[in-house]
Amino acid sequence: MHGIIPGSAAAPAADGVLLAEILMGFALIGGAVLARRRRFRAHAACQSVVVLLNLVVIAGFMMPSFRRAVEPGIPAHLGRIYYWLATAHGVLGLAAELLALYILLAAGTALLPDWFRLVRYRLWMRATLVLWWLVLVLGCATYARWYLRFG
Amino acid sequence: MMKIKTRTWSCLIALAAGLVLRPVGLMAGDSPAVTNEVKIDNFCFAPQTLTVPVGTTVTWVNKDDVPHTVTSDDQHFRSRALDTDDRFSFTFSTPGTNNYYCSVHPKMTGTVIVR
Repeated sequence: MHGIIPGSAAAPAADGVLLAEILMGFALIGGAVLARRRRFRAHAACQSVVVLLNLVVIAGFMMPSFRRAVEPGIPAHLGRIYYWLATAHGVLGLAAELLALYILLAAGTALLPDWFRLVRYRLWMRATLVLWWLVLVLGCATYARWYLRFG
Repeated sequence: MMKIKTRTWSCLIALAAGLVLRPVGLMAGDSPAVTNEVKIDNFCFAPQTLTVPVGTTVTWVNKDDVPHTVTSDDQHFRSRALDTDDRFSFTFSTPGTNNYYCSVHPKMTGTVIVR
């Protein structure tokens, strides 16, 4: 069985998720550029597709993988780098996804009541993008720690 | 001088006792110890193929600094995620070929042949 990334012991699906997440991270930056160019409809479409696609990846692959390999080791082994990296990635990733979904609902629909809507959209969107990229970096570090051979 | 003499005698007695007892020890261990342990190291099961008689308990020990699992292809046996130095044992009560893998790193595979 050969994976997509040379030298990795991961399943091809894990390699695919990593590559997809990196692409999605850059797509979000592309979406932010669209907003700066005042192409708001294209911006909304781009960010929405990424956030919803990420939800599918989280539910379909990351959550089952986390529950199988990481959850049994916490909190007992949380001091070990591969557990705390994966846990930090999981917790912050879930927060980033929920925040992004909230922004989608608040900015793109009329589903939320007025008192629950955002006031300073730009600030929240930028904060979410920064958090998303922090999660992406943590995800890459988690992948390296769990699947790559060192030495 | 006396001390040296005493020490020399002690050494000679110990040597003689060793010479007498050693053959007894060899007789007691009539065959070399059978290895029923599979080490998990550097993303590999070692030995990759292990042949054991029916009723043998095989123990896997994770020497890697990354969690691994031991999961048979037919889900006949399945460990939790093994941390560094964690062990998992399974007793093979029926003859056959048991292929297994690490569910975290599916490229890691091994076989236990039970005869």
